[in-house]
Amino acid sequence: MNKLMSLTQAVEIIQDNDTVGIGGNVLHRAPMGLVREIARQGKKGLHIVKTAGAMDVDLLCLAECVSSVDAGFISYETEYSLAGHYRKAVQNGVVKGNEHACYTVISALRAASAGIPFMPVKGLQISDLIEVNDYFTRIQDPFSGEPVTVVKAIVPDVVILHVQEADKRGNAKILGPIYDDVLLSRAAKKVIISAETIVPDSKFEFSQDKADIPHFLVNAVVHLPKGAAPCSCPSKYSIDRGKLDTFKALKSKEELLDYLDNFNTADYRRY
Amino acid sequence: MMNTIGNENYQVSDIMICAMARLIHNGENVFHGVSSHMPMLAVMLAKALHAPEAVYLNIPGGVDPKPKNLEKYTSAGAELFQQAAAIFPLAEVFDLSMRGRLDVAFLSGIQFDKTGNVNASVIGDYHKPKVRMPGGAGSAVLIPTAKRAIIWRTKHDKRTFVEKVDFVTTRGNIDRIVTPLCIFKYENGELLLDTIHPTSNLQEVIDNTCFEVKYRSIEFTPLPSKEELTILRRIDPKNYRNIEF
Repeated sequence: MNKLMSLTQAVEIIQDNDTVGIGGNVLHRAPMGLVREIARQGKKGLHIVKTAGAMDVDLLCLAECVSSVDAGFISYETEYSLAGHYRKAVQNGVVKGNEHACYTVISALRAASAGIPFMPVKGLQISDLIEVNDYFTRIQDPFSGEPVTVVKAIVPDVVILHVQEADKRGNAKILGPIYDDVLLSRAAKKVIISAETIVPDSKFEFSQDKADIPHFLVNAVVHLPKGAAPCSCPSKYSIDRGKLDTFKALKSKEELLDYLDNFNTADYRRY
Repeated sequence: MMNTIGNENYQVSDIMICAMARLIHNGENVFHGVSSHMPMLAVMLAKALHAPEAVYLNIPGGVDPKPKNLEKYTSAGAELFQQAAAIFPLAEVFDLSMRGRLDVAFLSGIQFDKTGNVNASVIGDYHKPKVRMPGGAGSAVLIPTAKRAIIWRTKHDKRTFVEKVDFVTTRGNIDRIVTPLCIFKYENGELLLDTIHPTSNLQEVIDNTCFEVKYRSIEFTPLPSKEELTILRRIDPKNYRNIEF
């Protein structure tokens, strides 16, 4: 089945109040084209899930699309400092910051991918995070009787990923670091892929090097070169410092919408 | 900031990174995460010197990468895939730590108290924070499960080393805390002064620490050797080791 569609059509799959998992890690291979379109379409009340997010989560917070963020780390790295829009939104009580250890996000997604309600997590034993958050609790190990901390499954309604190669049916290949993208694709109800290159269906069939994400998990494919920019996309491009600096200096949602116009040509080009 | 001692110029970051590198033993499995240029350089330095068989693990998942060019903006990018022969991604590094086989995890935080509690989460109330920090990333599961958690923090002041943290993100197997002034070690449930950097002194440590600074004896952190400095300058020609200062 041909699942190629426009960026607009693909993002229309996402409903207000959905739980949305985002691929990539910090400034690497974040699906920024899809994130921008979520902001343009003015989605509301999204529950964002990611191990370590940066510009993607920061942008969605500035766009007022977000109701909660489940993550281990939301910040840029050293040079680009804190995620100011996310931080402000949490401090003002607009966004609920559900702090995880990155591993508990992974465990919650593993539970989702296995269809089970929760996952025991070793290590999380002495932490105020257990008391203040309702997605962690301590139970008794039914076999040993020892206490064990468990994390509630997170089932993303939709996961958005940017990859280097996909075919029109949705088979998708990630070059370089995979981060949590494959796990996200297994945990989600629906998957939207944007790809630098649309490869012929025969590409993966006739290669020993198969796709990481099989077509039957995927609902939409968008051909979107530079779909991770201004974040990096390994083997394709590094970060765009100018556009990152401009974004970090934005003060309001109105300024953000103007900023997003700079990407319209790239995001809406049809191939 | 250069400090001239004898005939050599030292940055505090040089002293910190060499100290962190020496804490890595040959053959150990060692991990660092995001925003971690100093540990990244410490691992690379240790592998170039006394610990060639240390196993370098990281977020992108390249095992023992030999990055040609480091990136200023990240310690979690595809450069940590360069010349790595195998892939062992983040989720599996966590699993490794859970089953007791991660020797060293380099982590940081915003506040530390004398009983070894780490706060990387919030200042003020968790649900309505005065300051929402980035979050502890892997800390809450790695500090308790790695055999040794080595903490580094480039701020040493009374807001960082506090009597009691605002929020306990985690506590556990802290081995050392390396700061710009000194190194603390964690023993019998409390932080003790291990060594003072030759660029600082006991009074400066006391003046910048909220809790009582306890120690058995006054020892100084050994200065970086000529060999360590030469290699450090070669692997980090652009001085990214200073970007946290």
